[in-house]
Amino acid sequence: MSEPAVVFEDVGYAYEEAPHEAVSDINLRIEAGEWVGVTGPTNAGKSTLCLLAMGLAPHFFGGKLRGKVTVLGTESRAIKVIERSTDVGLLFQNPFTQISGARERVHEEVAFGPECHGVAPAEIEARVGEAMDLVGISALAARHPLDLSGGQLQRLALASLLAMRPKVLLLDEPTSQLDPAGTAAIFEVLSGLHQSGITIVMVEHRLETLCELCPRIVAMVTGRILADGAPQEVFNREVVQERVGLPVYTRLARSAALPAPRPVRLSESAKAFRTPIA
Amino acid sequence: MPDISLEKVLFSYPGGVEVYPEPGLTLALESGVTALVGENGAGKTTLTKLLIGLLRPRSGDINVAGLDVSKTTVAAMAKTVGYTFQNPDDQLFERTVKAEVTFGPRVLKRPPADVERGVAAAIKACGLAGKEDVHPHDLGLSERKWVAIASALASEPSVVVLDEPTLGQDYPSRQRLRELVMRLGSEGKIVLVVTHDMDFVGEACPTTVVLSHGAVRYAGPTSNAFGDRALLKEAGIEPPHVTELAQAIGLRQCVNEAEFLATWRR
Repeated sequence: MSEPAVVFEDVGYAYEEAPHEAVSDINLRIEAGEWVGVTGPTNAGKSTLCLLAMGLAPHFFGGKLRGKVTVLGTESRAIKVIERSTDVGLLFQNPFTQISGARERVHEEVAFGPECHGVAPAEIEARVGEAMDLVGISALAARHPLDLSGGQLQRLALASLLAMRPKVLLLDEPTSQLDPAGTAAIFEVLSGLHQSGITIVMVEHRLETLCELCPRIVAMVTGRILADGAPQEVFNREVVQERVGLPVYTRLARSAALPAPRPVRLSESAKAFRTPIA
Repeated sequence: MPDISLEKVLFSYPGGVEVYPEPGLTLALESGVTALVGENGAGKTTLTKLLIGLLRPRSGDINVAGLDVSKTTVAAMAKTVGYTFQNPDDQLFERTVKAEVTFGPRVLKRPPADVERGVAAAIKACGLAGKEDVHPHDLGLSERKWVAIASALASEPSVVVLDEPTLGQDYPSRQRLRELVMRLGSEGKIVLVVTHDMDFVGEACPTTVVLSHGAVRYAGPTSNAFGDRALLKEAGIEPPHVTELAQAIGLRQCVNEAEFLATWRR
């Protein structure tokens, strides 16, 4: 069996000067090539989980880390974030945070990461073209990053990560600024990356979307993992229903008193609602 | 006379193309909750900024709750319209939640008793009780959005405009938002919700306006808004999940969960 992509062992983390830990007792093992959805209410610790996997917590944010976070075989304490960024990319919740601010054109911004890592110019050019094409911003190449809309900025941030050719992608609400058509386009890109073997950890509030896309879901509440498993397993647990909420389909099946296990996706739901109750 | 009316409104950003094609945007809205939906760039946010005079049309008439917007300053519009930006960080600047929510009615020089009543009600309705003394920027994005909404409500405006209120909100928060807009609607206020979240539209907004490429393509009951598949595609809209499910099992069109369950039980 190949090396796991992300491993959290008894991890707790408190931000600088925070009275409580933002996450506690996190044990999580994500194999290479998995696509894991992370969800939970506000302040569940989802973004902190991403920052820990990237190493920004504690390297950038300071604070106090307990336990071990190991990504691609290296513990986060033993590697700088700049070295980590060769293999791991983090998409911030707010795409504005991601932009370097040092580049005046979209294509230069996409090239920024590989340039910082000393990738050869010809190779950079190829990667930048490919990344912009993939997320659909080639037409914006000559624009100033700060002139872009929220949705365009989110695509640019993703392209900048892809130009690094990461093995692991950490995505904090990757489509929060996009309309449904833009969202569908980005999820198609992610599906392609998943098929090519890239590991994806994705924070997302829209449970219906998570259940359609991710074979595995981690539900968090107040800094702890509440449930971890296949979507149908996770959303059939009473405690998840109460504290995280349910996909529309599961909630409808519950209101209609359909028998458990209740459906989480459209296709299963249609089947369940068509079957007459004995 | 409708509560909001736009008549042949033309507008373009400096150096940009026309947002609303000739002969301009014409739209009438009654009191109650209306969803404004359509693809990125359709002209939704521009429309809301025209309503409060933050942007001025090149031609056309805009009336909001009896006010001719062209003859009213943005500051005067703020007495009538409570507005929340898509990004709460565009409008938060005070040091505590309480000060932020109080800012609007205070600068409008409302009587102290009215200020106190409006602020207390807004803080309660937005789930911010107990957080009055917190710095807004110490809150998460979802809670900062609630501070922005509370700030818009505190002046007790007769028109409320919410730009993408469900973005980044978890389920309990969405439920609170639904209850809030439905209550405002039942109190006879004009509530305009700009959103891509069709589940929320089906649950909370009885009327829907579909804007696509700057033109009104549908204005009417939400229950009939999701029938035209070609239009939905053009306007970048995915119907509510319940609508998809109802269609998949051959039920008549449903736009919210209660309607689905009632139809299915029959």
